[in-house]
Amino acid sequence: MTRGAFAGAKVVEYATMVSGPYCAKLFADMGADVIKVEEPPAGDPARQRGPFPGDQPHPERSGLFLYLNTSKRGVTLDLDRPSGCEAFRRLVAWADVLVDNHSPDRLDSLELGWDELRKLNPGLIYASITPHGRTGPRSQQKGGELTSFHAGGLGSLLPTRSEDTSRSPIKAGGYPTGYSTGLTAAVAVAGALYGRKANSAGRLIDVSEQEAILALVRTNVAGTIYHRTPWSRVPERPPALGRLQCSDGYVVALLIEDRHWHAFVDLMGNPEWASGPEWGSLFYRAGHLMEIGDKIGEWAAQQKKEDVHHRGAAKGFAIGSVYNAEEVMNYRQYLARDYFVDVDHPQAGRFRYAGWPYKMPASPPLVQRPAPLLGQHNKEVLEDLLGYSTDEFLGLCRTGAVWEVGGQ
Amino acid sequence: MTQLPEANLPPLHGVRVLDFTWVWAGPYATMLLAMLGAEVIRIESEGRLDIMRRIIIWPLFAPTPQVIPTNQGMAFNSINMNKLGVTIDLERAEGIDLVKRLVGVSDVVVENMRAGTMGRIGLGYEELRQVNPKIIMLGSSARGATGPESHYAGYATVHHAVGGAAEITGYPDGPPSTTFGDVDLLNATASAFAVIAALNHRDATGEGQFIDYSQCEGVTSLIGEVLLDYEMNGRSPGRQGNADELMAPHNVYRCWGVDRWVAIAVETDEEFATFARVIGQPELAADPRFADAASRKKNEVELDRIITEWTRARDRDFIANMLAREGIAAAPSRDAEDLFHDPHLRARDAFVEIDHPELGPREFVGPPWKMSDCEMEAQCAPLLGEHNDRVFRELLGIGDEELAKLRREGVVS
Repeated sequence: MTRGAFAGAKVVEYATMVSGPYCAKLFADMGADVIKVEEPPAGDPARQRGPFPGDQPHPERSGLFLYLNTSKRGVTLDLDRPSGCEAFRRLVAWADVLVDNHSPDRLDSLELGWDELRKLNPGLIYASITPHGRTGPRSQQKGGELTSFHAGGLGSLLPTRSEDTSRSPIKAGGYPTGYSTGLTAAVAVAGALYGRKANSAGRLIDVSEQEAILALVRTNVAGTIYHRTPWSRVPERPPALGRLQCSDGYVVALLIEDRHWHAFVDLMGNPEWASGPEWGSLFYRAGHLMEIGDKIGEWAAQQKKEDVHHRGAAKGFAIGSVYNAEEVMNYRQYLARDYFVDVDHPQAGRFRYAGWPYKMPASPPLVQRPAPLLGQHNKEVLEDLLGYSTDEFLGLCRTGAVWEVGGQ
Repeated sequence: MTQLPEANLPPLHGVRVLDFTWVWAGPYATMLLAMLGAEVIRIESEGRLDIMRRIIIWPLFAPTPQVIPTNQGMAFNSINMNKLGVTIDLERAEGIDLVKRLVGVSDVVVENMRAGTMGRIGLGYEELRQVNPKIIMLGSSARGATGPESHYAGYATVHHAVGGAAEITGYPDGPPSTTFGDVDLLNATASAFAVIAALNHRDATGEGQFIDYSQCEGVTSLIGEVLLDYEMNGRSPGRQGNADELMAPHNVYRCWGVDRWVAIAVETDEEFATFARVIGQPELAADPRFADAASRKKNEVELDRIITEWTRARDRDFIANMLAREGIAAAPSRDAEDLFHDPHLRARDAFVEIDHPELGPREFVGPPWKMSDCEMEAQCAPLLGEHNDRVFRELLGIGDEELAKLRREGVVS
């Protein structure tokens, strides 16, 4: 019997899509009791997003929702009805943590702004995730996955080695803003939870998507401002310091230390054009590698990516194949480390999910349960956790304050 | 560590972290812990300096090649604030003994050397546990401490490729694109989370542990839905540029000027009607090609062409502000200079100022959150060996004579 590192922590998630749900998932998979609050009729809009088995949209079969909401219990409350809002207040009073990624206007309009929340629960840790943060001239503006990524500065660097500036900067694939922001919020919440031993007063944690992205380019900002070495998506970055196209795909290598360069040249069979002593200098390479970029490219084009990947790694320099989803799912290193986790969901079925990057033998993360069906835990949460009687619960269902699937 | 409740203590007050990290993925993890109030002590070795102390981040375009003075690398300074720094020669037995004395009075050890390196110099978890049974140690390596590729080296871009994220990043008709050091900083963030989780576990149970962190897995854990597409449909998703699966417009559009761009995302039909009005073509909202989300998505190429005709003659900030006023998500694609001068970020004190002993005032990006009762003054990253006296004397109670001997013998520099 293992104990999750956050066993006993009580978390209410009033959040949609990626940022708030990923934050709460990290705690749920570590044993926290996370109650996800969804609003009728459709619940979290992530349920409308793929992938779906057979590409058939179904609110209980969204791969995005299934992954981001493991280990949580779910309730459906209509917060716009007073009795639904009252149930939410009781949940907040029960919780150690509230994770919210709505505009602050939303809870303000329910008279549940930060001042009211802390009256309700003086020890509450309230993580408020918004596109631009809760203060400042843009605090009320709309934003999201795409715009916050570019507002935060990461888009201007992508795609790397883009030769054609008539084409736009891009967002990284997937939901990088949501995941990065959720992860950032999780560190702050974890810290605040730990800190309750020293300071039991509640805390407001204001997390801005833009700043979560900005934080990831902090080294670039510092280098640009003070060393005048701006990065952009069009640096003159030679192939050996980045992507190489092999006959069957791509590898990425990064050669900084001189011994890594020598190992790379050795891997290429020590061609004459890369073997002069001047190439042993980092500074020389930085200025001249483009001159032999074509030759390196010609060499790479005759190689198989996995061959280059593993032979290069054996020589001790940083190199890896660009893997697609299939290759990741079959990656020997991940399989050997039991990285994946099999999750059986009553409506979506059994699939293999990404696990966690940290192995913590004394408190291993675990999928405690599959993602909740819409309203799946209404009864047990309201009755067992919040102390509503069965009659009261049924009354809430009748008015729609608690929303039961198929019940209205 | 028992403490009386006291107002305004930062949450990790009283936690001591020994920091053996370098480059980006380790140092930023411990800086996050420092920003939550932990006392972080960098252990550095003159013989194997953190390359970020001296190097300019890539690409290097100084007119003549220069090695930056040891304390003046700006990337280093931006991810090592609020730490103490000591220098210990880890190639000597006396140095290892000194480290073990520090481990005896610490809570956490963080390192991001190649898996197994700490063990080889006598500082593996098993050794440290003998000194301090409750110690928490996080080893962050390229591919994890176990498995057939545990010895592989790596940097952020390589993890991004192997972890499956480069494959889905790029133009639909272009090659895969890695990002850059952001992957290191994300892995640092997840590492900080794991450390705090382990602290929580230790306080509840008395158990310490070794956390084996894989930076490639750190990338993969942030694309969970992409893997499920393969699981569900046998399909490996490709590259989408800026596109979204449901929304259109959802792109970055060329604006007036040189390489100036604005990101625009329209979510609902109501927003699209507003957008059509703002760009002076209200009839688009009723156009059957664009009347609902599915039609807009289907005719996205044509829609983007129409939008670009409007955006390319206008200033990106003007466009972003105009759309924001109408409730539509829009933002310029900002570069580092833009960020540094962004009035909104300035109003939120997103940058903190430190006083660098050699360079004077410098501004760096501050903590990625605002937390009540956790306002700490930003402190400059430690100069090499800056806190030797303070740490060895005050923490370990080493006297003048012993310290002089350690210095004479080169154990401490």
